[in-house]
Amino acid sequence: MTTPGATLSPTTDPAAAGAAAIEVRGVGKRYGTRDAVVALDGVDLTVRRGEFVCLVGPSGCGKSTLLRMMAGLHRPSEGEVLVHHEGTRRTPTAMVFQDYGIFPWKSVRANVRFGLDVAGASRAEATRTVDSWLARLGLADFADAYPATLSGGMRQRVSIARALAVEPEVLLLDEPFAALDAQLRTVLQEELLTLWQSDRRTVVFVTHSLEEAILLGDRVVVMSARPGRILADLPVPLDRPRSAETRGEPAFAALEQQLWTLLRDEVSRTFDGRSAT
Amino acid sequence: MSATVVVRPTAAEIDPVRTARRRRRLERALAVLTPLVVLVAWEVAARTGAIPVRFFPAPTMIVSTAGDMVRSGVLLDDLAATLRRVVIGFVAGSAAGAAAGLALGLSGLVRAAFDPFLSALYTVPKLALLPLLLLIFGLGETPLVLLVALAVFFPTWITCMAGVTAIPEGYREAARAFGASRWDMFRHVLWPAFLPQLFVALRLSVGVAILVIVGAEFVQGNSGVGFRIWHSWSLFQARPMYVGICVIALLGLLCTTLVTALGRRLLPWAQPTDRR
Repeated sequence: MTTPGATLSPTTDPAAAGAAAIEVRGVGKRYGTRDAVVALDGVDLTVRRGEFVCLVGPSGCGKSTLLRMMAGLHRPSEGEVLVHHEGTRRTPTAMVFQDYGIFPWKSVRANVRFGLDVAGASRAEATRTVDSWLARLGLADFADAYPATLSGGMRQRVSIARALAVEPEVLLLDEPFAALDAQLRTVLQEELLTLWQSDRRTVVFVTHSLEEAILLGDRVVVMSARPGRILADLPVPLDRPRSAETRGEPAFAALEQQLWTLLRDEVSRTFDGRSAT
Repeated sequence: MSATVVVRPTAAEIDPVRTARRRRRLERALAVLTPLVVLVAWEVAARTGAIPVRFFPAPTMIVSTAGDMVRSGVLLDDLAATLRRVVIGFVAGSAAGAAAGLALGLSGLVRAAFDPFLSALYTVPKLALLPLLLLIFGLGETPLVLLVALAVFFPTWITCMAGVTAIPEGYREAARAFGASRWDMFRHVLWPAFLPQLFVALRLSVGVAILVIVGAEFVQGNSGVGFRIWHSWSLFQARPMYVGICVIALLGLLCTTLVTALGRRLLPWAQPTDRR
């Protein structure tokens, strides 16, 4: 997977802290053949091992497309996306979708089990893993229910449990809480925070919400309106472990203000319907 | 002058469980009562001579004729003959239709190759093929069973194909994100997502199967419920004709109910969730 001339060498010990887990190099994406829409343009991004990176940007800026490339669901039109992993699993990544993620024809237990089934895990091992994740996400009582009978928040818990059950090296989340109401969203944010702080793995989290990005992320990457480019890449100056109270810190509000200043023009640009360059 | 609008709970709000139960009981009673009233009115009209018994025998007369036909063994033989044709034709036709629907739904290339061809054949009334089948296979069971299979194949194929192409891309994406192979994709996503459509198709085509076999039995063969209805006409006997019509109606009801019940049993996740 290595390419000559890489600035970061993936051949160094991958377990070392600070080693790159994901490298995005000069990635562009065009849709259509004539009058092509440019969704992404010259995107460079490095996500280090164990890092929680949040991608924010206006609607249609290509942040979901970029995330899907990391999952191997989309291919770039130019450039490359490298996902460095130990190679012990079928897929190094797991993904949580905003909707359509979990299968309505499978019970909660079968949904959580899906990734393990596909990876060919042994029956006993899969059952043990699934039971532990069901318990950790408060789903044990609903194990045999079908998704149609669950609330939106519970369904997203199922989706998260399914992704974590395969113990991915990289966890990708595509606006996982966007369809939830504000209170539920807060609860799930805190649950995710607790989960991640007890079991740190590489996370790329796409969201519309600046507040969510600051609360959860080590870094917030701001993308521009179409064509998506990286506008800023800011570290979050807040100590871990964080909790709900972290929202009250002055640095929190300051960063939110700074990010909003960056984004405001971009958002109004998409709002006006004018395309850039 | 002033007025006050008062909004208070009625019985439905105070005791919703009891209200719902009462409502359900009423619905069930109505379902039985409506046909009962019609039958009684018919009986009275026939007995009083308001309608000619020659054409419209009273329900009790039909029942007694049915009793005679059961005792002589005619009715059960006819029913067995019809049922055999329907079951074999239905199973073969719907299996082929489901397979074709899956193949065309899953592969754009297969669809490109066969869709126009099958669509053209679809519009041909299947009964119009009976003479051709008789020509090829001669008199006997084969053309009848084949006709049922053909009639079932097309609606099953179309419904199944539409079902497969309508599976949201999001489900496939979710499976691919976990590294699902083609077989995993089929087993975990496409097949279960396709099953509810298959049952819609089966419900439709079981009716088509009965429709077609009765028509075919009118003109071909000397057994079956359809044959009995037609034969009674040629003898100017209204009563056995009515027996045949009633048997067909009940057979249709039974088959549709069976398919629906089977679907409900096999697809618990696809059922409406508001059942209490």
